[in-house]
Amino acid sequence: MKNKIWSISLLSISLVMFSCTKELNRKPYNNINQDNALKTSSDIEGLLVGAYSDLGADDLYGGGSSVTADLLGDYNEIAWSGTYQGMTQIKNKAIAVDNGFTQGTWTDGYKTINDVNNVLDALAVVTEAKREKVEGEAKFIRAAVYFNLVRLFAKAWNDGDPAANEGVPINLTPTKELGGTADQLPRAKVSAVYAQVIKDLTEAEALLPSSNGFFATSNAAAGMLARVYLQKGDYANARDAANRVIESGNFKLTQPNIDGIIGIFAYTRAKAEDNTTEDVFAIQVTTTSGINNLQTFYSENGRGDISIRDEHLALFEPGDLRVNLINADFYSAKFDNVYGNLHTIRLAEMYLIRAEANFRLDASVGATPEEDINTIRKRAGLPSLSEVSLSDILKERKIELSFEGFNLHDIKRLGVSTGYFTGGGGLAYNAPELIFPIPKRDILVNPNLTQNAGY
Amino acid sequence: MVNNYRNENVKLVLLTSILKNKIYFMRKIGCFCVMLMLSLNALFAQTKEVTGKVTDSKDGAPLVGVTVIAKNENATAITGSDGTFKLKVNSKTSSLVFSSVGYKSTEAKIVNGNVMVALTLGVDQLAEVIVTGFGSRIKRDLTGSIAKVGAKELNNTPSANFESAIQGRAAGVLVTQQNGKLGQGISLRIRGSASVTAGNEPLYVIDGIPLQNADLSSNGATTNSLTDINTNDIESIEILKDASAAAIYGSRASNGVVLITTKKGKAGKSKIEFGYFTGTQKPTGKRDFMNAQEYVEYERLAAAAAFRLDPSFDYVAFNERRLKRYSAANDDYKTYKVNTNWQDLAFQHAPIAQYDLNFSGGSDKTTFYMGGQYLDQTGIVVANSLKRYSARLNLEHKVRDWLSLGMNMSFARTINKRVSNDNAFSTPLQIVALSPITPATDPRTGLTSGALDIGTGNPNTNYPVYYNPILSVQNAQYTTIVNRTIGNLFANVSIAKGLTFRSELGMDQLNQNEERYSGRLTARNEGVPNGSGRNTSDQILNINTNNFLRYVTSAGDDHDFDVVAGSSFQKWQIISNVANAEEFPSDSYKKLNAGASKTNASSGGSDWALLSYFARANYKFKNKYILSLSGRYDGSSRFGDKNKFGFFPAASAAWIISDENFLNNIRWINFLKLKASYGLTGNSEIGNYASIGLYGPNAYGGLGGQTPIQLPNPNLKWEATTSSDIGLEFSVFNKRVTIEVDYYTRLTKDLLLSVNIPSTTGYLNKLQNIGKLENKGIEFTINTDNVVTKHFRWATSLNFAANRNKITSLGGQQIGTLNRAQEGEPLGVFYAKEFAGADRANGDALFVKNTIKADGTKDRSTTNNVNEATDVKIGDPNPDFIYGVRNTFTFKGFDLDVLLQGVYGNDIFNGGGQYMSASGSNGYDNQTRDQLNSWKKAGDITMVPEARLFLANGTDNSSRYISSGSYLRVKAVTLGYNLSQKLISRFKIDRVRIYVRAQNLFTITKYKGWDPEVNSDATASNISLGNDFYSAPQIKTIVFGFNIGL
Repeated sequence: MKNKIWSISLLSISLVMFSCTKELNRKPYNNINQDNALKTSSDIEGLLVGAYSDLGADDLYGGGSSVTADLLGDYNEIAWSGTYQGMTQIKNKAIAVDNGFTQGTWTDGYKTINDVNNVLDALAVVTEAKREKVEGEAKFIRAAVYFNLVRLFAKAWNDGDPAANEGVPINLTPTKELGGTADQLPRAKVSAVYAQVIKDLTEAEALLPSSNGFFATSNAAAGMLARVYLQKGDYANARDAANRVIESGNFKLTQPNIDGIIGIFAYTRAKAEDNTTEDVFAIQVTTTSGINNLQTFYSENGRGDISIRDEHLALFEPGDLRVNLINADFYSAKFDNVYGNLHTIRLAEMYLIRAEANFRLDASVGATPEEDINTIRKRAGLPSLSEVSLSDILKERKIELSFEGFNLHDIKRLGVSTGYFTGGGGLAYNAPELIFPIPKRDILVNPNLTQNAGY
Repeated sequence: MVNNYRNENVKLVLLTSILKNKIYFMRKIGCFCVMLMLSLNALFAQTKEVTGKVTDSKDGAPLVGVTVIAKNENATAITGSDGTFKLKVNSKTSSLVFSSVGYKSTEAKIVNGNVMVALTLGVDQLAEVIVTGFGSRIKRDLTGSIAKVGAKELNNTPSANFESAIQGRAAGVLVTQQNGKLGQGISLRIRGSASVTAGNEPLYVIDGIPLQNADLSSNGATTNSLTDINTNDIESIEILKDASAAAIYGSRASNGVVLITTKKGKAGKSKIEFGYFTGTQKPTGKRDFMNAQEYVEYERLAAAAAFRLDPSFDYVAFNERRLKRYSAANDDYKTYKVNTNWQDLAFQHAPIAQYDLNFSGGSDKTTFYMGGQYLDQTGIVVANSLKRYSARLNLEHKVRDWLSLGMNMSFARTINKRVSNDNAFSTPLQIVALSPITPATDPRTGLTSGALDIGTGNPNTNYPVYYNPILSVQNAQYTTIVNRTIGNLFANVSIAKGLTFRSELGMDQLNQNEERYSGRLTARNEGVPNGSGRNTSDQILNINTNNFLRYVTSAGDDHDFDVVAGSSFQKWQIISNVANAEEFPSDSYKKLNAGASKTNASSGGSDWALLSYFARANYKFKNKYILSLSGRYDGSSRFGDKNKFGFFPAASAAWIISDENFLNNIRWINFLKLKASYGLTGNSEIGNYASIGLYGPNAYGGLGGQTPIQLPNPNLKWEATTSSDIGLEFSVFNKRVTIEVDYYTRLTKDLLLSVNIPSTTGYLNKLQNIGKLENKGIEFTINTDNVVTKHFRWATSLNFAANRNKITSLGGQQIGTLNRAQEGEPLGVFYAKEFAGADRANGDALFVKNTIKADGTKDRSTTNNVNEATDVKIGDPNPDFIYGVRNTFTFKGFDLDVLLQGVYGNDIFNGGGQYMSASGSNGYDNQTRDQLNSWKKAGDITMVPEARLFLANGTDNSSRYISSGSYLRVKAVTLGYNLSQKLISRFKIDRVRIYVRAQNLFTITKYKGWDPEVNSDATASNISLGNDFYSAPQIKTIVFGFNIGL
């Protein structure tokens, strides 16, 4: 009997164990193996959707890089009372090289770029009917990210020689494994980054349809292109691109509601919303995905870390309905809906770009500067101006687009100091403090990366 | 047998030589073993029959279930219910050895075929049975390093976690409870941290089943899944520290192994035991904050200074408006009429009670232990409590001579009412940020401050200065319920003489539900106006089977063998669901069915599997040269195809020098053993699927999307630790002094390291086998019997351990910012600016530059621009040494047990310092009182820079917020009294013990925070150590209790 037990037990051990060896091949439940991720057209389209999500990351077009640009560009219009040290550093123009917010803008940016590089690499898999659209959207996203990076992490276009100034690394290939080209990239020149951005956007505008749900359209690409050209002072191209958006007829300014709140910023309760007629491109936030970091920092419903100072209020003319977007506790009420979309490009900006560019070129393509400025003023409940000056245009732009992330970039392209709009003072447009540091984590792992001056 | 041993050791040596390694069977399968031996006994010729009786020396009561062994032969018997036994032995045998758990082994002579013996309570340390993986050995024969904590030390610890009971009791084991919240994370480090990215917690094994120890918390603060184990069910905890002891657990042994053995029944009279204790708990410490007058004066000072520096803004007027706002919009702040001590409101009356009822007993065929417990503990911080119901049945039955079966099964239901993690406005201790001028109840509304803004009809958004955590106490709930079943079925089969087969099938099943509802008044904290709810549920199934053969034999007098070989397979699986909803009709509705907007619904899961083959051979020559070889071959699903399997061998040897002739004449040495071990262990505590390139879901605008999330690494393999240990054990002066000393090194290579890679790749890091680190240290334990008289006994046990951790290579990486993993430094060192106090001239915060000058020296000049200063090492969260001292006194029926526990040389960083000790320059947070000593006028010499409202003055991470974390704690004091037998026997009661016990009674420390035993639950990780961030202090407990035995 003992022998029998002996053999049975040995046999059972070996049986159990042999059957277990294949148990060691476990498959993930929540994610999938990358080898199976990009097999069909809808796989690639899914990746593109994911890229939009990454584009809307908290430190990117989810509002973060807009908040940081406003804080860095501010002289005395807003008060920061938040407890995030990283934001405090930015407001104080003393950014540490390991600042989590500026680092997030960089790392989230390159993650998004890798997403769309994967899309562009797998275009052949995409159904022919959708291929152009997918390519256009991917290029739009890539350009949007590179433009954001080069504006924040490098010298302004007009600060010295853009062909000599260090921009940001350009990576146009997907990373499948380490050791690829993206590993140790040096910084490309500022002009090279702008060229890449303009190339991607120009191609995107040609590839994209004019109607594409809430995804990027040819108008979105043109709108972004207008912004890019304006930033580098190419007014003719800026105006033409803005004009294409306006003339497309696809968009309409939203009107003030009964409380005097301009439609695009109207808030009733926290819920996901559709794009308004004014949105040329908006990052989507729903109750289950996306984040509105403008709400987080600006809104009294959020952290309420940024309040508005009298110096900013003094910019408003009496009767300006846009004052209603500053609440009784001096917080911006533009972003009160925690699930509100981020209005990345809206029609009002296009009017303002066209007005400024026409004015500078002494032209009236599409409309005169007066007509465009009065379009914006009229909506804000202000009387029309018979004649506008550049400073009228810039002030209108300042008020209309306040807290939407334009402050720093306008100061730079205008070559003025941070206190320019409130009576002067502050840092010069090309002060090294107004440029984000290249994240320390990347400097440490990539010897080819150079740090910005002052860090 | 050549009797060349000295007298003191004869007994011991004889005993152990006879016991060989069969003690294992006595504990696990004693009955079966005995029957086997009896049957074998028939093979011997020339036998005689011996009868006798065993009694308890204390009261003369017959002892049941005592093992009786004839020296040097395989004859064994067990005493029956009347304490008698009958045994056939070789006719030449002259004495027998008697042993029973809890009693000292005793040898007695056979007189005319009869032996009468009385056993006394207590254990001969060297004969103590130590549970090892897949077996056991007596302490004398151990070649590895194993610390044991027994039931006596563990019982009735007034804490839900058995780890608290280990604290200070085992050399080289550092137990750190994150904070004083109940059921929260506890870290246990055995001989230092061996990994940077992979796990650093030991493997826990209960009755042979590896326990799952996953954290399922959904609020950012870890919970401790070992809370589901009733400490009073534990017979012993063995901590396997070196490679030779732990290598049988191979791949997961790098961080040590904690073996938990639960109580078993004993043949004899069935026992009923009832235990109860009740008491109160308090925080171990509090911080000192400003009162209303100090606060108002200080903020005014800060506002005036800010205005002086920045005249563009009227800080003074602004400040008065703000103070008025925080004073419920009245002028009471001017007269300091309201002086709220918010800190006190974070704590509550905290009773604790525990009820135990146990039954145990058995016959020569069956033994059982049945234990039930109810623990009802209220937390010291508001809204925190823990209730646990647990039951256990351990049963073993001898089915046939050659077969015994058994099971160990436990159920527990733990209901933990939890609070937010440390980094949340709603966590109770963040209440200290509120202004002392703010009344707890808003006079405008009669409601809790912050509940209602009369102007809007909604909760206040800017009063008090921050969200009032009391609103969460009153309007939110967060309950974690865990149902846990841990069970093990086993069979022991005797195959041939000395050869047994054991099969175990174990299961550890955990079902957890976390349910949270935050009502309308928590809107300011949650950002959701109409109530939000969350429900998570997790199911974990952890299945394990061990199958192994054990062969114990001797060849002649000089050679003893004990060989174990087998295999095991473990599979772990989790299935999880989570759902969130918002927009509830009213706060009366708290379930998600009422939430109109479902903001999240998700399910997921994960699994891993481990397949192992293991073997161990113990060889003993002449009973004094001991060799042990072991190896484990492990395959884990977590690694790449190329490196799934790893081999982990270990060797160890011991030499019992005191048994050598040349030490015969040194009479004061009773025992002397030299031991050494060397071996390789592994670590695979990384995420599942870590070697696979992954894409994950990433939705946008209501559409499904995906993005890449992980680069593949098919070469990923085991992190390996080579450990060596050299140790000496000796016992002198009639065994009154026993000393154990160990020196060890643990060299870890191929670290499973999350390596930063250039983010231009689209990825931040990749798990790679890069880097090395080492731990070196010494440990010693000294046990002394200081006074031993008939009525009074005083014994001391001291343990001490010093570990030096150093990262030798990270492939050029530096991980972390404040706490860092950096080459040449211990894991988790603090790096920040060196703070130099206030500039004497203007009150600016100064930092030492510490930049390297052209000549290579450090620039020690100071700067007020924090960016001009470079980060330097400002502290180390790892202690230089840890120690415990236990004194036990017994006097007649009284016993007193005092445990001191200490940690020395570590630093703590107060992450909350930038808010609470910030010279009032970072918002309106109430300040610690030490900030009153800020710079006020030119010439002031102080470490507190000038108070400047909003103009951050030295709030960056710097050595300003570092302090020593050394402490010495009166960890546990128990004073007990056993009622005299005479008194209670007439009530037919066997034992009555009453006691008073205090936990964390008193702490000596220079740390100014709440408690020096801290690591914020919001940030705790392998690297993030020694951080205090509004962390709840530890719990000081005093309980009164009794145990009644029937």
